[in-house]
Amino acid sequence: MVSGPSWFFGFGAFMEFIAFAIAIAIANQALKGYRLSKEKTLLYLNLSFVLIGAGLLVDGLASLIVFVTGAHRGFLYPFAVGYTIYFFAQVIAYGLLVYAYVYQAREIGAGPALVAAVPFLFFARNAVTELILIFLLVYIATQTGNNYSLNKGTNALLVFGAFVTLSIAHVFFLIFTVDRIFYPLAHITQLLGFLLLLWMLLRVNRQK
Amino acid sequence: MSVIQRESNEAKPTRILYGANLSHDRLVKYLEELKALGVIQEIGTDEKVYGLTQKGIEFMNNFKRVESFASAFGFKI
Repeated sequence: MVSGPSWFFGFGAFMEFIAFAIAIAIANQALKGYRLSKEKTLLYLNLSFVLIGAGLLVDGLASLIVFVTGAHRGFLYPFAVGYTIYFFAQVIAYGLLVYAYVYQAREIGAGPALVAAVPFLFFARNAVTELILIFLLVYIATQTGNNYSLNKGTNALLVFGAFVTLSIAHVFFLIFTVDRIFYPLAHITQLLGFLLLLWMLLRVNRQK
Repeated sequence: MSVIQRESNEAKPTRILYGANLSHDRLVKYLEELKALGVIQEIGTDEKVYGLTQKGIEFMNNFKRVESFASAFGFKI
């Protein structure tokens, strides 16, 4: 099982905990919006970020367990458990966001892209899982990019930037098997993506 | 409510009628509903003028935040 450099395990978990907190803040804002407006797209946004947050939390905890117990010296099974849950949570979450955009455009015939049937076993980060996530994220980044090209607002730019950054993070996760330095780069890039979303959220809540 | 806010929190019924593009019957119905919810009030003395209550102002501020948040993702509400 390939894993990141052992010196980074604690940092990676810490970054995922921060990203989890931001994801929950976004989910909370979306829920407030849904309660006020009853717009289904905001409900999908809420569910999506709850799942993203849950996945990050589980993966972060798994990394922390490995780091604290010193298991990174040998036994890496918790990583596989954490990553499996993280992967399914992210696929459903980003699939929901894709569906929200499709729903808004009323192209229901395209069908929602949700979880495919997979055997129930745990797996480590690998090319197939990362490609699925990249595909979903690129679609979402394209949608938010279109929105920015029409909207031209700073908030739209921040959201577009966030999803582009998250896509790049998963490209780094994809190629870290070639060079392990990409593992910490992937985590840092992922955190940066969530920080851009946090910046957008702070701007929205500061406005009168 | 946004029409009233645009008119510096004082709008006559005809202004709201044209600003919101409503029929007279609908306007009367919605004004009564909004008054019952406590988000608008009559503030004129000689003639009918409507303004937002504090609750109405808070609602509009929250709604604008929701709109801003949703539009950042490309969602319309």
